[in-house]
Amino acid sequence: MSMKKFRCRRGSLGLMTAVVLALFLAACGMPPATPNPIEATVSAPAEEPTGLPQSGTPAAEAPFVSRPSGQQTASGFGCPAPQPKLPVTSTELNLFVWSEYIPQDMLDCFELVYGMTINRSEYSSNEEMYAKLAQGSSQFDLAQPSDYIIAVMVRTGLLDQLDKSRLPNLKNLAPALAHVPGDPNGQYIVPYQAGTESLVYNADTIKTPPQSWKDLWNAEYADRMVFVDDPRYVIGAVLLTEGKDPNTTNPADLAAIKPKLAELIANVRLFDSDSPKSALIAGDVDLGYVYNGEAFLAAQENPAFTYVYPTEGTFLWQDGFGLVQEAPHPDAAYAWLNYMLQPDVFWLMLRDFPYTNPNQAALEYARNATFKVKDADGNEVSPAELYEAYMKSNITNPPAEIWQNGINIKDVGDALPLYDSLWTEVKSGN
Amino acid sequence: MRESKSVQGTLLATPAMLWMIGLLIVPLILIVVTSFGQRDPDGNVIYTFSLHNYIRLAGIKTNCGDGAAVCFDSLYLRILVRSVGLALATTLLTIVLGYPLAYYVARAPARRRNMLLFLILIPLWTNFVIRVYAWIRILRAFDLLYTPQAVLVGMVYEFIPFMILPMYTSLEKIDPSLYEAAADLGANSLRTFLKVTLPLSLPGVVAGTLLVFVPVMGTFVVSDILGGKQFELVGNLIQGQFLDARDPTFGSAASVILMGMTLIVMIIYTRKFGFGEEVAIT
Repeated sequence: MSMKKFRCRRGSLGLMTAVVLALFLAACGMPPATPNPIEATVSAPAEEPTGLPQSGTPAAEAPFVSRPSGQQTASGFGCPAPQPKLPVTSTELNLFVWSEYIPQDMLDCFELVYGMTINRSEYSSNEEMYAKLAQGSSQFDLAQPSDYIIAVMVRTGLLDQLDKSRLPNLKNLAPALAHVPGDPNGQYIVPYQAGTESLVYNADTIKTPPQSWKDLWNAEYADRMVFVDDPRYVIGAVLLTEGKDPNTTNPADLAAIKPKLAELIANVRLFDSDSPKSALIAGDVDLGYVYNGEAFLAAQENPAFTYVYPTEGTFLWQDGFGLVQEAPHPDAAYAWLNYMLQPDVFWLMLRDFPYTNPNQAALEYARNATFKVKDADGNEVSPAELYEAYMKSNITNPPAEIWQNGINIKDVGDALPLYDSLWTEVKSGN
Repeated sequence: MRESKSVQGTLLATPAMLWMIGLLIVPLILIVVTSFGQRDPDGNVIYTFSLHNYIRLAGIKTNCGDGAAVCFDSLYLRILVRSVGLALATTLLTIVLGYPLAYYVARAPARRRNMLLFLILIPLWTNFVIRVYAWIRILRAFDLLYTPQAVLVGMVYEFIPFMILPMYTSLEKIDPSLYEAAADLGANSLRTFLKVTLPLSLPGVVAGTLLVFVPVMGTFVVSDILGGKQFELVGNLIQGQFLDARDPTFGSAASVILMGMTLIVMIIYTRKFGFGEEVAIT
């Protein structure tokens, strides 16, 4: 009897604990998880380039000469010395950047040559980055916005103006890509990369290749598609097929496309902004609406992957680094930006994250560099070989008319909630 | 003497109380307050008192497109039903799969028992997200990746330890002399199980159910990764509002509804199954 009583009390106590614990877990959304974590390689964002990214002849100043720093990264990459080396008193740099979008050697070298520790927080969508910065967490020095969100960040005062006298290496950028569209005067953003966001398909498995955004509704593609988890681009493509402005602020336009959007979303097998190429390469899906760098890497893995520029036009993006307001280590931030922009550093993008490269001097440097480095698969490649592959590919180096007819995703101001709720409703409807 | 003891008790409980107040109660209040607010175009919260988020969640719309003044959209209700369904399925599967294992561990010799418990706990040492990623490869091999079944498998895998452990605790506490008594009184093994083991282990099942059901309702990672973001649960809806849609007010309202729903389900559940008082050998 006494034992039974004891058991009962124990039972209810345990239960109470469980209830409290369970409530707590529910309140926190359970596991300590990031929404789009690891795995992944690239996650390029989006912004709108304004011109031609092709490298021309480099600026006719004194030719750049790379100088070794004597430091070497864990992968064996010899770090170039900073040119110029800025006076820095900070010992830390806090980056808030896209997941897996900066070459590890670039990060490691900066730490080595400046004796600095980089603290890196990552995100996988502009919206996520903005939501976190807007909460007022100002421990970050640099953020890496793209697209329409740049204009929003400038408008809401999340970014500080850059002191360009501290950024001598800005001269390395191709003039056409030296400013991102959300920041037409280049006061806030140091451009990083650019590119397109378009369709890629597996020519071995897809019978009818897509030519237009309208083809996405083909029965053949149903449940065989991966899309970036990027509402503005997906909604923008649907608006385009209906002959509407991809940056519309008219609620009626958005309401009108809702059924078609819902139909399309239901046919998408997977949303993944971090590494859509993984599902393509693994054969989970055969068609992707992805960033061009992802398509390029997939095509290198399997040449059957073919990138398409739809007839209605292709979406363009451009991203860059912005100085977060009240950044704790601005000196380190400027040092990073200059170091990153160096030709002998930025060419690493050709190896690790082959998007459209706005750094003209880095392209020129790579073209003439024949030393060997190891790529992600451990193969020996030279920057010159990478440069050639980059220039030859219509994915990374698209024809001029693609840029001219390209479509930019712009800030829609007060209409933004309309996009947000439309996306929530169609995605939740599945 | 008694008094000083109770003062001591209060003092000892203070850190935990402060922790709960600061990190549980205050955030909960913030969520409730936010849920009545409105967002501005950039996603900042304007604190007002408006029920529009709850009206939206209920599916009542004033802009219907077909001329009607008010219409009903079951969208969010469907998400809720789907989440409850998945949580129930996960709970049932973890009980069915976990009970025999818990029983086996509880009846194993003491040394082996610790070893087995250890094995159950080992996976928890690895980050949850990484383990979910590992399932991508497994499920791909069975052609199940990015399907609702994949989400269910991931959930069951993830939460089964939380079902096994409380069930084990209950089963392990059963006095072996009760089995002997049952045998002496002529009960066969099935009858012993139904009349002795099962009733006495029920508190563990109840506790395990709460530990599994409630978190499953709020988890979004598994459906994100294994469902391809195409299997929207309440957790995904909430997460999406905070990060993608930049509408913390709607996300908060959805959180409040989730917590409310969970509380109601748990109250009904504990009313039905009690807190163990009814557990008695008849």
